[in-house]
Amino acid sequence: MIPHAPILAILLPLFAAFLTPVVGILSRRRDIKRAREWFAIAAVLVELLVVASMLPTVWGGQVLVYKLGGWQPPWGINLAIDGLNLLVALIVAGIGALVMIYSFVYMERDTGLDQYYTLYLLILAGMMGVALTGDIFNLYVFFEIMCISSYALVAFRRKWQSIEASIKYMIVSSLGTSFILLGIALLYGLAGSLNIADLAQKLGQVSPSAVIVPLALFVTGFGIKIAMVPLHMWMPDAYQAAPSAVAALFSGATATVGIYAMVRVVYILFGAFAIGTMLATLGLLTMVLGALMALAQRDLKRLLAYSGISQIGYILLGIGLGTVLGIQGGLFHLFNNAIYKTMLFMIAGAIVYRVGTSDMDQLGGLWKNMPVTGTLFAVGALAISGVPPFNGFASKWTIYVAGIEAGQPVFTIIALITSALTLAYFLKALNSIFLGQRPKHLSDVKETPLPMLFPIMLLAVLCVVFGVLPQLGIDLVRPAQEAVMNSSGYISEVLRGV
Amino acid sequence: MDLNYVIAMLLFVLGLYCLLLKRNLIKLIIGLTVLTDGIHLFLISLGYRSGGTAAIVSGEMFSDLPGFAARAVDPIPQALVLTSIVINICILALALSLAVYAYRHYGTLDPSKLRRLKE
Repeated sequence: MIPHAPILAILLPLFAAFLTPVVGILSRRRDIKRAREWFAIAAVLVELLVVASMLPTVWGGQVLVYKLGGWQPPWGINLAIDGLNLLVALIVAGIGALVMIYSFVYMERDTGLDQYYTLYLLILAGMMGVALTGDIFNLYVFFEIMCISSYALVAFRRKWQSIEASIKYMIVSSLGTSFILLGIALLYGLAGSLNIADLAQKLGQVSPSAVIVPLALFVTGFGIKIAMVPLHMWMPDAYQAAPSAVAALFSGATATVGIYAMVRVVYILFGAFAIGTMLATLGLLTMVLGALMALAQRDLKRLLAYSGISQIGYILLGIGLGTVLGIQGGLFHLFNNAIYKTMLFMIAGAIVYRVGTSDMDQLGGLWKNMPVTGTLFAVGALAISGVPPFNGFASKWTIYVAGIEAGQPVFTIIALITSALTLAYFLKALNSIFLGQRPKHLSDVKETPLPMLFPIMLLAVLCVVFGVLPQLGIDLVRPAQEAVMNSSGYISEVLRGV
Repeated sequence: MDLNYVIAMLLFVLGLYCLLLKRNLIKLIIGLTVLTDGIHLFLISLGYRSGGTAAIVSGEMFSDLPGFAARAVDPIPQALVLTSIVINICILALALSLAVYAYRHYGTLDPSKLRRLKE
């Protein structure tokens, strides 16, 4: 492990965010082309390295506890990293790095890129903070850093679409974060602590009826962030109006962080497997409604947003089942979802970059122009629909089996039907974008530029690898699943020596 | 003392009411700040102790630490509220600037008119 890796993982993007405009100014003055972009890419790659360096220690079964300022956990702020934290940090850093490489070309026609890269790195810092911290107020602050930067990034192009989407997103999401703050205030009043492990221990002695209100506030607050039905209205607008690179980052990384916060708070803080059924039911609802809405969409990015909502449903279903296999499947699906969702949004961005629209009515027959992009889209579409041999199949299969094993065959049947619906709307999208009649004005569209294709290809390879070797993926998420199930281990590790 | 909590919840509910039912972006933003201020008042009241002293340890306090601990207010909620106020100023600034842009694009501040994306 790199010394001080936990805190470096947060500070690195934070400092890089504030250095980016300086680098931008210097590069303009010295006339060095693209120094800012290279600087930002270097920052995220180092970030990935820092996170990866923590893997051996945490996968060895240890909980990394980093005490800020040397203060003992219940009093000082600490970063506590177990398998679950690290899985999320890895997804965030990986997706963050790939989307950054993608932005290099995708964003080149925009102005105000100093701000873009600053906000991007700030989101990364916020997500990393949420993923690594062991203090609940700290989690809230980083969550807000992430949210505020995302409102700004949604509104980045300042066209009417982005402003409208950003306002909707901001009002709903700010309400959600205030709920989280109120939940934290209530918990502090109940237990007098902010450390997640210490709180979990103390809440065990509080009467269960007292924790219902804070639990409800947390589920609502984080539910808004992950666009759980019926709190999903902001998401399609935001994803449609944001630049595709931003939408790719949101759907891959930010949604993952939201689910992480939900799981951490619900499972470890409240130890409440009791609301698992509620999560599973909400997951089912999210899954079905997302898929039905996706069927009716004409805009590719909006369709992808609804399908993202639907996939979140699968993850909630798996995690809500609460069995070993269910949580494993849910987390594996979380991992896979980050891969193919990011990839599909990147492809949507590539189409917007070359054609200028993501409206499926105006597209068609693009296979002749962009064969590689078309193939990659097909890979992503098949993976997300759960067709073997791609990774979506492996994780969905795990969730199906978990549903039957948990004595809920109805859940499995609904999940299967939703999967068929997913395949249906992705085939429709594939058909109307890449096959069929090509409008005349699209005849000289070129293939996606290589720097944009590279991250998409990398993700496509991952789709195939985890589909052919599902055991690899299961092994990857097993430490996280063990961490979710073993909250007493987390508590005793963090509070050791108190 | 209990009045604090009543007013805090009242502010929270008023903010929520404003967010749900008002038809003006500026009013929505005001509602949002009222709502969070309710939470802040709640947090501050948690640590309040009537007749208490500030929890700053100076030389003479060390002689009577248990007595000091019995008199001092809880400093953590104050730190939390300070942090939260700063966060909310950021949200407020961003929200107002977005409202300015919305007015430029749509010529209205009515959030129910901001629904061109659906079509």
